[in-house]
Amino acid sequence: MKSNKIFIFWCALFGLIVLITVFANLFSTYPVNEMNMDKVYMAPGDGHILGTDHLGRDVFTRLLHGGKVTLTVAFGSVLLSLVIGVMYGSVSGYVGGWVDSAMMRLLEALISIPSLIFVLAFQAVMQGGMWGMTFIIGVTGWFTTARIVRSEFIRLKEADYVKMARMFGTPIWRIITGHLLRNSVTPLFVVTIFNLAGAVFIEVSLSFLGIGIPPSIPSWGNMLYNAQNDLLIGAWWIGLFPGLLIFFTVLSINFIGEMLKDSRL
Amino acid sequence: MTVKWIGKRMMLGILVLFILSFLSFFIMHASPGSSATAYYGGNAQMLSAAEKERISRTFALDRPLVVQYGAWLMETVQGNLGMSAKEGRPVSAILAERVTNTLLLVGVSLFFIVTGSILLGMEAGMKPNSLLDRGLSSFSIASSSIPAFWLGILFIYLFSLKLGLLPSSGMQSIGGNDDFFDKVRHLIMPAAVIVLTHVGVYARFLQDSVKMEMRSYYVKTARANGVEEREIRSGVLRNALIPYLNYLGMTIPSFFGGSVIVETLFSWAGLGQLMAKSVMVKDYPLLMGGIMLTGIIVVVSLFVIDVLMFILDPKLRKRELGV
Repeated sequence: MKSNKIFIFWCALFGLIVLITVFANLFSTYPVNEMNMDKVYMAPGDGHILGTDHLGRDVFTRLLHGGKVTLTVAFGSVLLSLVIGVMYGSVSGYVGGWVDSAMMRLLEALISIPSLIFVLAFQAVMQGGMWGMTFIIGVTGWFTTARIVRSEFIRLKEADYVKMARMFGTPIWRIITGHLLRNSVTPLFVVTIFNLAGAVFIEVSLSFLGIGIPPSIPSWGNMLYNAQNDLLIGAWWIGLFPGLLIFFTVLSINFIGEMLKDSRL
Repeated sequence: MTVKWIGKRMMLGILVLFILSFLSFFIMHASPGSSATAYYGGNAQMLSAAEKERISRTFALDRPLVVQYGAWLMETVQGNLGMSAKEGRPVSAILAERVTNTLLLVGVSLFFIVTGSILLGMEAGMKPNSLLDRGLSSFSIASSSIPAFWLGILFIYLFSLKLGLLPSSGMQSIGGNDDFFDKVRHLIMPAAVIVLTHVGVYARFLQDSVKMEMRSYYVKTARANGVEEREIRSGVLRNALIPYLNYLGMTIPSFFGGSVIVETLFSWAGLGQLMAKSVMVKDYPLLMGGIMLTGIIVVVSLFVIDVLMFILDPKLRKRELGV
């Protein structure tokens, strides 16, 4: 009972963060990119509840809109890697034999390469906007998903109902979607949730370094791009609030994932 | 037999490096007109036509991508990584200056993560319902939810700006001449950021496997027979270390990815910072070199972990060697 309440708490927190960023326009008090050179580096208070940044832009407003960008990238890329991972894992797990061993060898190699390296290689030539980033995180983040789908398929393939379905001539795609995928939903959901946390991390880290989303688009990572310098002149609020929001977002995602993982066992 | 096993592992490592180079090369070179000129180095205007012709022939720049990759591979295997597009110096020279810095940062961090997580995980796993046992999983989730660079910023604010205890960036103070303690002082914050964001996760993993071992029959039997607690501890640790090492091997690649961010934040002149910089200025040969060297380091660390597991796990030895 107690853990149920905690679970609902984390879900509610994450839901709240998603809601306020989706409806950023309703809650924001200023236009996102409105600069006001008379009001640079204003401390939280009077009219700007979370202060203003080095261009006099409202931190609270940018926090909401930035969240929209960061979370869109995260959700979009996770969806993409889910699709790729499921396709790769399905083929490998269902076909089996030498196809499976070749595909697994390749996957093993891919897993042992830091995925951030592929992200860097892509960013060197693309450096697109929000969708470019989504694509890059998506195509470099499907390895664990594929491995889980494959191992679930291999386990489920031997189940009686699957053998039966095959005997009755059920088409392969229906066996895959109706039986194998359907019974792999829980582990797939768990790995996807953890991927979501990872995707948020990659976006904010790269944008912070200046090699992520272009500075013209507000994202949580971009808001932190100047935070190091801002901090040195005492403007702590510019770095603190986006960081806290990233922390609580990832924290709630991780807790949701952990609790789902435990309840499965 | 052992030789055969080592050979097999090495083949796997070479395969990883091959796939890494192939994919990175194609990602970077597939965009039209991107990188052909990059091979001329920073001083493309000053090169004579004959010089350009020679470089172009070496790297097959006017040929299809696959041929270019083949040429690149041939040159790389012989140790010629080309010239940095921005600095106009050989890539290998630049990498050589930086590799030890990364190894130092990652090595020190890894040492504290491994020893710290083993101590914490053992303690938590052996004492059920203690404060540590109950608190560790929350600590692990919380600490892995903090972006490393943000924790770093907070540290800089606290320890450099407010308390003035530690330098905020770089590898040595201005005017410092390779003083050992000066370097250590610069190392503390970046290493602490990496350790703090990782140690909880590994400790928790070990805690779980220690708990699993504690429930097994051999521990109960040993207890019943009055085997000393110290001996039980070492037996449990030994067995719990096997899945722990496996987990370490699985996560070590992301470790090197993470050092890109920490190195850049603290201006630690390592490979990660170099790669981030190369992305910014589109220095493809340099980025490619950094990627390959990082790949080699990862492959070697995985090999070391494999060997350790081989020593610790008699089942694995038996299966692989058949003795």
